Amino acid sequence: MIRNETALREQICTRTLDNGLRVCYLPKPGFSKTFAILATDFGSVDASFTFEGQRYDTPAGVAHFLEHKMFEERDGNALQKFARTGASPNAFTSHTMTAYHFSCTDRFAENLEILLRLAFVPYFTADNVEKERGIIGQEIGMMEDTPGWQVFCGLLAGLYHEHPVRVSIAGSVDSIAQITPETLYTCHRAFYSPRNMVLVVCGTADFDEICRLATQFSPQDAPTIGQRHYGTRRDTVAAPLVTRQMPTSLPQFLLGFKDEPLRPGESRLRRGLLGELAARILCGDTAPLYATLYEQRLIGRDLDTDYMLLPQAAVGMIGGESRDPQAVRAAVEAEVVRLAHEGIDEALFRRMKKAVYGLRLRVLDAPDVYARQQANALFGGEDYLDCIPLFDTIGAADVQAVFARWAQPDRSCLSIVAAD
Amino acid sequence: MQQVTRKKLGEGVALTCVTTPRFKRAVLRVMLLLPLGGAEAACRACLPQVLRRGTAKLPDLRAIGETLDERYGARIEGVVRKEGETLCIGFLADCIDEAYAPGADGLTAGVIALLADLLYDPCLQDGVFRAADVEGERGALLDRIAAQKNDPRLWAPRRLTELMCADEPYGLSALGTAEQAARIGAERLYAAYRRALDEAQIELFYCGTRPPDEIERLFGATPLTRRRTAVRPLPQARIVARPVGAPREVIEQAAVAQAKLSLGFRTGGHCLTGGDPAAYWLFQTVFGGSTSSKLFLNVREKQSLCYYASAQFAASKGILMVHSGIENDKFATARDEILRQLDACRAGEMTDGELEAARRSLVNGWRTLLDDPLALERYWLSQAAAGTLVAPEERIAQVQAVERAQVVQAAQDTALDLVYLMEGTAG
Repeated sequence: MIRNETALREQICTRTLDNGLRVCYLPKPGFSKTFAILATDFGSVDASFTFEGQRYDTPAGVAHFLEHKMFEERDGNALQKFARTGASPNAFTSHTMTAYHFSCTDRFAENLEILLRLAFVPYFTADNVEKERGIIGQEIGMMEDTPGWQVFCGLLAGLYHEHPVRVSIAGSVDSIAQITPETLYTCHRAFYSPRNMVLVVCGTADFDEICRLATQFSPQDAPTIGQRHYGTRRDTVAAPLVTRQMPTSLPQFLLGFKDEPLRPGESRLRRGLLGELAARILCGDTAPLYATLYEQRLIGRDLDTDYMLLPQAAVGMIGGESRDPQAVRAAVEAEVVRLAHEGIDEALFRRMKKAVYGLRLRVLDAPDVYARQQANALFGGEDYLDCIPLFDTIGAADVQAVFARWAQPDRSCLSIVAAD
Repeated sequence: MQQVTRKKLGEGVALTCVTTPRFKRAVLRVMLLLPLGGAEAACRACLPQVLRRGTAKLPDLRAIGETLDERYGARIEGVVRKEGETLCIGFLADCIDEAYAPGADGLTAGVIALLADLLYDPCLQDGVFRAADVEGERGALLDRIAAQKNDPRLWAPRRLTELMCADEPYGLSALGTAEQAARIGAERLYAAYRRALDEAQIELFYCGTRPPDEIERLFGATPLTRRRTAVRPLPQARIVARPVGAPREVIEQAAVAQAKLSLGFRTGGHCLTGGDPAAYWLFQTVFGGSTSSKLFLNVREKQSLCYYASAQFAASKGILMVHSGIENDKFATARDEILRQLDACRAGEMTDGELEAARRSLVNGWRTLLDDPLALERYWLSQAAAGTLVAPEERIAQVQAVERAQVVQAAQDTALDLVYLMEGTAG
């Protein structure tokens, strides 16, 4: 299917292969670089699942471990194959997705073949799994020393009682010690099924060639993953305050508002827009409260707002550095209550919508970001560009409803990382 | 597809325009270039944020925020950057292209006018900056100076350059020192501001769809191009080709779980403006510039000594650095392995495959740069700061022509200056 967005001068080509793999091409005429991402709907939160009638509870960090190991191939290492073409490859594991990607300026077909083979052909041995433990152990150590990551992990542990997002993406040195080649093969078979994956290419390529290569190098066998288990959900937070000690010059904080998860049939993109608008109206760097807190020296220039959607979980976040995170919390929570009751000033709402529109549009200029967003949207059955018409469906009252949820008792958690 | 024009708009004022239809946003920059360091270093680092607090027309953050939102989320950020031994202070902006939003006509012109106002028409009180703004931003600068130590992965490289280039401006932080920052007051800051405006080289940049003459006209209508008589030429970065003495080793402790090992080398004079930079980039890439490099394959993959080990060529200064994260007790092993890989390069032990992979990786990197307006901004600023104007396409051609012997020579010209270990005490 080819979809033309004439006003935006964008085109989206999509096709679902016989084995269920969704293939998407986003042309960027005139760009030097082509970016391709092959993603599976499998992240760190998917450690417990039912597959072919059997329940599996795998060690924390298995999705990330698998990501590392997929580069290993019977005849060498995929990174070295990419090196020969000059492409720039990488991979990442998030809470909800594992993805392999490369960008190149020539030899696209060759690179795409390497990418498809690396994700679809597993090769794990006791030796190569053991070797990886050392490298990942170092990576875990590095993340433990990163205050920004620690404050994020602290927040998620405070917001959730059972949801696996409580556990850091890479797991721990102890949890990864339990990973065996068998664990990896099971997860690969369950989640790296073409039915559970998408391939998105953004740049200058040929859609038919992409589909031909994807057909040739993806397996016919495409099992369906059964249920995924995220524990019992509660509306309220597990802990209102989480503090961790680390050597940092100023306390770092992240304040989270636990939101309702996506309802069946609800658009992910629309919820994402609602959440982003709410967070920016509340305390984005052009919001009135931001100016007040900044002038009071309670926050620094780099205050981030974000909205995160996960299976059976959603959270609005505000974070940065502060001498007094508790005072920031008090001010922000008071503003949430005010907005929930009084509603949002119409002029403020209108300009924030314009600003968010501009930010969403900018994504189209960055093939890697756009392709990643598109992969994410495809997992929700949408196209990234569907967010543009969605702006017209959102009114101030819709965002006020978000604040009404955040304003309920026991919905917020403050995570702090500080020196003492 | 991409046209780069450069034009002098006044004494010490140059505009670089990258004209291309491919982006949906425009990137703009107004930057003052001054020598790194000096007694006013902290004042200069403080300026962008004080100026960002308000203009005569838009006197506070609320007013600026409203204006940016109305311009479809245009962004203007204060910037303090070090390019070689040049300090760059000013503003970086982006906004969506007029063609992609209803009622967005004049968006670029509006952002240019706002950039000029931020720099030339600040909100003043009794002829100097407002005391509250200065006090707030002095505190914020002190926080930023202290925060440089927060992330060990960033601090270890910074500490390495500080130690290795202790007698060169390059060893200084762009933010100045805490002692300097503590002394910032409204009058002192305002005087530093006037002096910076008089003396700096001004680098303007635009990347977007509008033709260069239109952008030139828009900048020309602002005080940015008014007559200046005290402009100072920028000193060139001091290139120290060889270490002064024997290699030094510095070990410090930090309350972190993972140790950080950084090695600093002199390049024998290879830098942006001298020696054979193309050959040096190739050597650096073979040595530790990608996932097919010797460092990645041996230090990480073969020996599992670390999660990362990479080599970085600071071309604007002519130094090479290797950074890695290791366990404390692997210090000697990792250091020796890194040096062994350097020796292999010096001995010419690199396969044609390694060499060609490095070449392709570099070419790929420069071509990719052409697709990213922010990367282009940074690229052209670093060129301007070094007093050279070599396009990425020319760099590609240079790298294509480099022969093996030149790469080996680059490795042989490399000499170890300092080994820095940040030992973890929290592991």
